[in-house]
Amino acid sequence: MLVIVVENAPPRLRGRLAIWLLEVRAGVYVGNVTRRVREMIWDTVIKGIEDGNAVMAWNTNTESGFDFVTCGANRREPVEIDGLKLVSFLPEISQDGEADSL
Amino acid sequence: MNGEPILPPLKPIPIKDRISVAYVEKGNVDVLDGAFVVVDKNGIRTHIPVGSLVCIMLEPGTRVSHAAVVLASRVGCLLIWVGQSGVRLYSAGQPGGARADRLLYQAKLALDDETRLKVVRKMYEMRFKEKPPERRSIEQLRGIEAVRVRKMYELFARQYGVKWIHRNYDYTEWESGDVPNRCLSSATACLYGVTEAAILAAGYAPAVGFIHTGKPQSFVYDIADLFKFETVVPMAFRIASKNPKEPEREVRLACRDAFRQSRLLRRIIPTIEQVLSAGGLPFPGRPDESIAPAIPNKEVIGDAGHRG
Repeated sequence: MLVIVVENAPPRLRGRLAIWLLEVRAGVYVGNVTRRVREMIWDTVIKGIEDGNAVMAWNTNTESGFDFVTCGANRREPVEIDGLKLVSFLPEISQDGEADSL
Repeated sequence: MNGEPILPPLKPIPIKDRISVAYVEKGNVDVLDGAFVVVDKNGIRTHIPVGSLVCIMLEPGTRVSHAAVVLASRVGCLLIWVGQSGVRLYSAGQPGGARADRLLYQAKLALDDETRLKVVRKMYEMRFKEKPPERRSIEQLRGIEAVRVRKMYELFARQYGVKWIHRNYDYTEWESGDVPNRCLSSATACLYGVTEAAILAAGYAPAVGFIHTGKPQSFVYDIADLFKFETVVPMAFRIASKNPKEPEREVRLACRDAFRQSRLLRRIIPTIEQVLSAGGLPFPGRPDESIAPAIPNKEVIGDAGHRG
């Protein structure tokens, strides 16, 4: 199982992803592909994402049962804690560069 | 070019990594934002993951744009124009004989009486799970096969409690066929589509057959027969026994299951290679005096016969 979520992606990349995967919600693509095809698709995402951002998750033989990669800037950042891959949610940066207290 | 970043060129993925077949019944098949879509008369768009499909059956009531055909060929998806209920009319999208070495190998095997007989014997061995009797001509083997096939149809008909007269191929009068025959025709059409796509993807020619000859799809029938009685035939009889309202639709749904359970897409290309190698000829290398192409072929993840 493979899931890709893109935000702010150019239409041609969204169209291209629909060549192999099913777009079940805006920017959310689902499919079931082999490693080689997955790598080819991710290469396409990186080359086509421009100013947007994307994440790809797939099931694999890790402790959590899946792995994921990201590209582009997003407030959710992957962090690795003792071999466990988690996600940090960064605070919003306001105009003067200070972190919002939210 | 306006200097914007461009996406990598589209390439086919291997047949074994795909899903089998999709039927498109009504609407305009087109390309929007680089995606393969069917737009119906109400303007509803349906995306079709063309790159993840082996073949698309286009039924009466579809129109296909030039861009859609280009896209299907780029991703190595075979477009098949079929008549009502899967009676085949025409096919395109993937020209055959993409690999001259394989085409010549196949032709050499088919031209020589001795190697052709070896290939035919191998095909019978795979179908009936036992070696055919020695010293029989292809003609005699075909006779033995015909009897066995008739018996198998009768056996399946008895097993599923279906009234069976004989196999009726009259595709000019579709509705005249009885339900089991309609189910069988619909199911085999599905199998032939997938088989033809696999033969093309492997780089061979659909017309160069061994048991069947003289038809544009002779080799398709040869290869499909290797899988027919373990996949679509029992399924067609099972569906016929339920006397369904829409036999063709039921059959198509069941075809998908049958292909998945038999792991057809994973087995089909290796089986083609296995059958041909029974001819005992070495795969031809490049002749000494030949020169390599000026623009070398790029490495692709698709199958050998896919035009990358």
